[in-house]
Amino acid sequence: MPMSRRFRPTTFCLALLLFGLLVTSLWAAVKHQQPPEGNAAGSAKEIWTLKEIEVEKSELTGWEQEVDGFFGKYLVTPLKVVLFYDFGTSRWLNRHAEPVVDCPTCKAKFENVKPWPVDPVSEVASCLKCAAEGKQTQIQIVRGTSVPLVVLWLLAGAIFFTLRMRFINFRGFWHGIRLTKGDYDKPEETGEVSHFQALASALSATIGLGNIAGVAIAVINGGPGAVFWMIVAGLLGMTSKFAECTLSQMYRKVAPDGTVSGGPMHYLHEGLKEKRIFGLSLGPLGVVLGVGFAIMCMGGSFGGGCAFQVSQSLGPIRAKLTFLQDAPWLYGLVLAVMVGLVIIGGIRRIAATAEKIVPLMCIIYVLMAVWILLANFSHIGSAFALIFTEAFRWESVYGGFLGVLVIGIKRAAFSNEAGIGSAAIAHAAAKTEEPVREGIVASLGPFIDTVVICTMTGLVVVITGVYDKGNPEFADVPGYTQMIDTEKGAALTSLAVGTAGDVFPWILCLAVFLFAYSTMISWSYYGERCWSHLFGTRVSLIYKLLFLVFVVLGSVVTASNIKDFSDFMILSMAFPNILGVALMSGKIRHALDDYWRRYKAGEMERK
Amino acid sequence: MSWLSRHTVVVPIDFSEDSFAALQTARELADEPGYLHVIHVLPDLEPNEPGIIWSTIDDESRTRHATAALKKELVQRDCDDGMHVVIRFGNPGHEIARYAKQVNAGLVVLSSHGRTGLEHLLIGSVAERVVHLVHCPVLVLKK
Repeated sequence: MPMSRRFRPTTFCLALLLFGLLVTSLWAAVKHQQPPEGNAAGSAKEIWTLKEIEVEKSELTGWEQEVDGFFGKYLVTPLKVVLFYDFGTSRWLNRHAEPVVDCPTCKAKFENVKPWPVDPVSEVASCLKCAAEGKQTQIQIVRGTSVPLVVLWLLAGAIFFTLRMRFINFRGFWHGIRLTKGDYDKPEETGEVSHFQALASALSATIGLGNIAGVAIAVINGGPGAVFWMIVAGLLGMTSKFAECTLSQMYRKVAPDGTVSGGPMHYLHEGLKEKRIFGLSLGPLGVVLGVGFAIMCMGGSFGGGCAFQVSQSLGPIRAKLTFLQDAPWLYGLVLAVMVGLVIIGGIRRIAATAEKIVPLMCIIYVLMAVWILLANFSHIGSAFALIFTEAFRWESVYGGFLGVLVIGIKRAAFSNEAGIGSAAIAHAAAKTEEPVREGIVASLGPFIDTVVICTMTGLVVVITGVYDKGNPEFADVPGYTQMIDTEKGAALTSLAVGTAGDVFPWILCLAVFLFAYSTMISWSYYGERCWSHLFGTRVSLIYKLLFLVFVVLGSVVTASNIKDFSDFMILSMAFPNILGVALMSGKIRHALDDYWRRYKAGEMERK
Repeated sequence: MSWLSRHTVVVPIDFSEDSFAALQTARELADEPGYLHVIHVLPDLEPNEPGIIWSTIDDESRTRHATAALKKELVQRDCDDGMHVVIRFGNPGHEIARYAKQVNAGLVVLSSHGRTGLEHLLIGSVAERVVHLVHCPVLVLKK
């Protein structure tokens, strides 16, 4: 047998990576324990923590709070340090900012820098000193703008692919629609499903609470301008998606029974084996990137593919079904049973119905958004103007121009998963002998997801003004400011659609529930594929049980903690994926040029 | 090998070179190819696999594809001489044992992949499970 059996690179790299992860998280946890330098910084941090406790205490009790505390301390914080390291950009970008703020009442000083690179938002804390004297004073603490490495990475990747593939996102658009319509389908080709079916399967994972809650979170944190950058990131992301899905088709494995498996873990592993730089084989790098991707993808499936969906969908549903107010875990439990029926119980019909209903639900959602926009017809112009002007305002209150840009890119990537590599797993299944063809179909994904659906949500949120804490229209809504502080995005969207009529929050409930459920079903497939890639199919039950644990956790842990955790896991998948795809971009370009030449020469058979 | 005469020999094939090597050994042991049963066990698919969601693949289509692929391999190796080709679904160890029982096999011939350590713990050994479960003698070929 081949050498690989004796050497076992997979096991070796896995052990190495696990060890590395353990060491870095330990290091981060220890580092986090150390008090920040200086007394002033210490007091600022104290206030920040106090504020967090004040907000969270009101809704969590007993064991739920303990679970949340554990989750935040041992999962979110260490991950934040390692994965969202910003290379000191927060310090550099804010070197001119006023480092110290005074309490307006007692004149106590607080340092104005946060211990961790976080979203650039301003935050309100209450002064401890005044509180001790029985007074309530609020201090505006401006968090620094920071550009996390992962955001630069995603943006650089998307721009690079767009230039390298010569704007295939635009020039391939109509061809993509024709392909999806089935004009070029040949039933005898290798694969499992048609172009349309593959796209629908990928979209059922992609379209989720990121499109409903994520956009609202973007507008809370980055203002209306974030919507503009989301759209830009969506358009550029189309080429990232094209590149990764073309590769996924090139290196997919066809089993003897005709089933197909592919995805970044395959193309990083197989593709980089063929690649040489300065005479050095990139095989070992491919193994490391493939294993790294598989591990992060499993994490992503627990976060954005699962807990985030539960956590955010809970908002609008609990607003309507009030008995869930006191027992949110009940919702998690019900969903865990429903997901368990499919992934462990193996009930195919439920999975099929849930996924097939997604395209219909998208249409209903967009129609609802259009209805609400038409109801506010006179404000559409000013909403667009606001989105454009805020996008380019250098001194925006939301952490400046860069802050808005960072948030837009981050939330767009979270929603459309371009550059993340997840959809490549689903697109590998498409029936075609032309990898480029599926890549072009896949590039429609970010367009539908971000440019259409996210923009709709964004417009509704901006036009109703629901993102603005000071909006008098919503002042009497119970828990309104708290909703914004704890980033309950979907609940906010529900509030926004509710302004146009009482029936809309109900429609949103249905949409949110179906999107959440289908996303979980699809993402559990991605995670399971990655798990099998590492450990074989036999023990995938362990993965599935873990997945169900995260369904329940999603209903218990606070929304911000879940959002942070999900961000880290999903966005970090872009590190191995974009690096590998960029290294292989020459091969993609070659295949694209060849395909495009034949397409333009009319050599493609069309129905 | 007189005791083996007129006994069915079951050979599990997973398309690896080792498993085809086991087939060669089995051919030497069996009286005639008609007593040889080549079995390939396919894993059950996840209910959220795209092909299952859109009902474009099912057990029938998978059996058809796998049988054709296996026959093609046998022809290439010049041993397609009347042996039975069977496709089953589920856990390889259990299905091989069940099939051996069903055809009242006299011997199961298979190869051991020799996984050790973490891989053995996680992926395990089909050979081991067959030895545990099957009713008849098992010939495990070491690499």
